[in-house]
Amino acid sequence: MSRFALLNIRPSFEGYQQLINLYEKNKGYHLGTLELSIHKWFSANLSSALGGILDKLKEELITVKFSQMPSKTEEIMMKNGFLYYYSYPKLKDYYHTTIPYLKLKPTDSRTFFNYIDKDLLNREELPDLSKAAKEKMVDSIYEVFSNAQIHSDTKNIYTCGQVFPRKHVIEFTITDTGMGFKERIRRSFGKRIRATDAIRWAFEDKNTTKQKISGGLGLAMLREFVILNKGKIQVVSDNGFYNFDSKGETVKEFYGSFPGTVVNVQFRTDDPNSYSLKRETDNDLY
Amino acid sequence: MESYRVDVYNIVGGEYCIEADVGQKVFEIIEKALTENRKVIISFRNVTRITTAFLNTAVGQLLRDFEEDEIKSKVSYEDITDVDRMKIRRVNQTAKLYYENPERMKNTIEDILGE
Repeated sequence: MSRFALLNIRPSFEGYQQLINLYEKNKGYHLGTLELSIHKWFSANLSSALGGILDKLKEELITVKFSQMPSKTEEIMMKNGFLYYYSYPKLKDYYHTTIPYLKLKPTDSRTFFNYIDKDLLNREELPDLSKAAKEKMVDSIYEVFSNAQIHSDTKNIYTCGQVFPRKHVIEFTITDTGMGFKERIRRSFGKRIRATDAIRWAFEDKNTTKQKISGGLGLAMLREFVILNKGKIQVVSDNGFYNFDSKGETVKEFYGSFPGTVVNVQFRTDDPNSYSLKRETDNDLY
Repeated sequence: MESYRVDVYNIVGGEYCIEADVGQKVFEIIEKALTENRKVIISFRNVTRITTAFLNTAVGQLLRDFEEDEIKSKVSYEDITDVDRMKIRRVNQTAKLYYENPERMKNTIEDILGE
């Protein structure tokens, strides 16, 4: 039996480091039982990253059991459906602050589209967000999703979100357990670079690892929107951590590696920007 | 010159134009029509969401296979929002740079290593 405790997990370098420790300490524990406890706090949107890690461990036939967690955390993770995957019942979310945990095959786009429309775009709790900002937010999420579909060669994609009405913030997380940014660059260009450099490279406009087809706009556009919306982006990929917010860009390296990629985006829901664009004719499109 | 109308909703089979491989289906039809020397009207009627990943394959690839002037004179868009027009413009500008020099990507990695 292996025991592991997660303490106060928030979307921060320290929070992700603990999730990586969970993976690194238990991988290879073939056919063992992992007893996982959560203490103090667990940010519900990070159910996405936790789901990815636990599934990677389950590939090694490790049995995962939750031994202890704060009642508030348990309640939220029952409401968002995460614990349903671990034989807990579902709880109804009367306050509509959870955006459900979803585990889906990369090819199952339709389920994802319906989920985003129903559980994010059409929420009644976003009255201060302009229609244009909502559209931009959803566009950004689709771009991150399609990146995971195209590049990671993952078995599953894990998504989850949480609404913080008093802080006027939505956190939304997309995780894959396929190859990270660094490995994609190595396979496409034969270059070995640090994970942090690989993430920074991917955020530059027009940079893509795709072969024979142009691209590289999705993450650049996500960052542009986050600047205007005054939100935040975090990426965890292999041992690289990237954070971008109104204070600028920071990168750090973890001890150990995340088995895939986490993209966590924080959107401000009190964004009244209309994001108006000038009308372009067909000739202006080149 | 006769026109051929590409009804994206019909080809994709729905209102979401998200995935690159679905864009490939649209590209193949546009390419065929241009090769047959038709003008092409790309209609996004009833489409609600378009990603750049979809557009890179659906229209960005045209700049690899046809001259820009030929595309400008033969391809037009209908029923598309200003936001999605902006995406098409960025996709086209990216595609132009990429197909002019596909090796550019390798150089950008050298650049980030050299910083």
